[in-house]
Amino acid sequence: MSAAIGMEVLKTKGRKIWLVVAVMMAVQLLWAGWAISNKDANDLVQGWMFFLYQFPMLNCIIMPVIAAVVASRLSDVEHKGQTFKLLETIIPAPRIFAAKFIWGSIYMLSAALGQLAIMIGMGFVLHFGGPVPWGALASYLFFTLVVSLTIYAFQQVVSMLVANQMVPMTLGLVGGFIGLFSMFFPQGFQKLILWSYYGVLMQVGMNWDEATRATDFYWTGIDWVGLGLILIFFGLIYGIGRTLFVRREV
Amino acid sequence: MSNIIETEGLSKQYGSVYRVKDVDLSVPEGAIYGFLGPNGAGKSTTLKMILGLAKPTAGEITVFGKRVNSKNRLENLKNVGSLIESPSYYGHLTGAENLRIFQTLRGVPKQNITEVLKIVRLENQQNKKVSQYSLGMKQRLGLASALLGYPKLLILDEPTNGLDPAGIQEMRELIQSLPRKFGMTVVVSSHLLSEIDQLATRVGIIREGELVYQDSLTKLHQYSQQHLAVRTMNNEVTKSFLSQNGVAWEAQDDYLIIPQMKDSMIAEISKVLGQNNIGLVRIEERKKSLEDIFLELTGTAVSL
Repeated sequence: MSAAIGMEVLKTKGRKIWLVVAVMMAVQLLWAGWAISNKDANDLVQGWMFFLYQFPMLNCIIMPVIAAVVASRLSDVEHKGQTFKLLETIIPAPRIFAAKFIWGSIYMLSAALGQLAIMIGMGFVLHFGGPVPWGALASYLFFTLVVSLTIYAFQQVVSMLVANQMVPMTLGLVGGFIGLFSMFFPQGFQKLILWSYYGVLMQVGMNWDEATRATDFYWTGIDWVGLGLILIFFGLIYGIGRTLFVRREV
Repeated sequence: MSNIIETEGLSKQYGSVYRVKDVDLSVPEGAIYGFLGPNGAGKSTTLKMILGLAKPTAGEITVFGKRVNSKNRLENLKNVGSLIESPSYYGHLTGAENLRIFQTLRGVPKQNITEVLKIVRLENQQNKKVSQYSLGMKQRLGLASALLGYPKLLILDEPTNGLDPAGIQEMRELIQSLPRKFGMTVVVSSHLLSEIDQLATRVGIIREGELVYQDSLTKLHQYSQQHLAVRTMNNEVTKSFLSQNGVAWEAQDDYLIIPQMKDSMIAEISKVLGQNNIGLVRIEERKKSLEDIFLELTGTAVSL
């Protein structure tokens, strides 16, 4: 397996995939800076909660885009060069699928870690109130990763099965927007949509007072049902997707 | 001589249509097996089934004496190199980097890369991106990938497709040298009869998914033996005369086709016809071309 992953790394040479992750992180950094810039000292008391509320919302669109682009960039070289028919005579198809998933996951993990670094960095620089909520930040990283890898698995399946990469790219973008807008819908509905899970697994809630126009954040419990469901989604997408890839004829 | 590949009743059905039907292939060790057939006859599908890239609907495949199944497929393929339909490559990487990927995955020594690059004469272009290669160079790179593990069996599907005459000649010479230099058995498919004629020692001809001929190329040439075409003023009477004298004939347009025979026998026939007032107006020597045989076997126009 290590050889297969190593070769995935070689295949990405000159493909500038890291640039996509970097650009999306820069967008996230700029957005976070802009969002926090109009907050006064009172607001910054709830700075950690503010970020743990805002970042998952932004992730609904940022992470699906990264997942779609990375999965597409890793798969299109195989379609263009018709390499699956040669690779599948050398190594087992499930290993090809797994190696691509593992290498793609590194990009997703890097993006999630990048966000965490932005949050912690800005928290320290701007002196957010209260102790650093390490537990909530660690949970955030875990939830972001679980949801992102599930979305990535979905994107990889479509990218590996469909030669025309416009299809997975469109699906990724549409999914991201549906995920974002689904946050206005009830939780039950959100749980039906893969891209909504950044919101489902959010650990912070928000009260908005219409009269004073003030916002107040509060900690919510972990949605264990949501976590269980996304893990099931992951298992199903990876399992079914891999089977479809293995069974298809090239 | 043992067979490297044997298939028995190999079939592939899509819906109600058979793409390949009951194909019994036998490829002897050390042979260059020409797999010939018009476009869409089922050549690639058959080869893909042998490589496990397509699943047979029915039938058995034996490679190196072992019946191939999903469990031992890759183990068996360690000794097989393949180039199916078009070369597989990563256009954004150099030729050498492409080979490094396949060499690493195959788990063969790194020095094989240099050696196969020499064999296919790409050593001077190895550091060039493959997207800048010509089609002929890509085909040679595909062949180099197939040769990386010095396989005992090489399966090449239409390796000269799209090449110019010089490229075809070069690829042919390369393929011809492989059994001699490395003791490989080569299966090469083509829709070009002339190509197989110059390459193969054994031929399989497939038509609409069915194997219609399989034997040595020498035997195929025997079908093209000479015969005589005779035209007389009264072919009907001539037919009875020939039958009475035990000479086989076949009517073809205004001619009667009879086997090649001694001059004395022809003189005798001519004399007897004259005695019976049947004017002999034409007597020609004819030879069935390989194309005619191919046409008869495949029932389609020859792609030449």
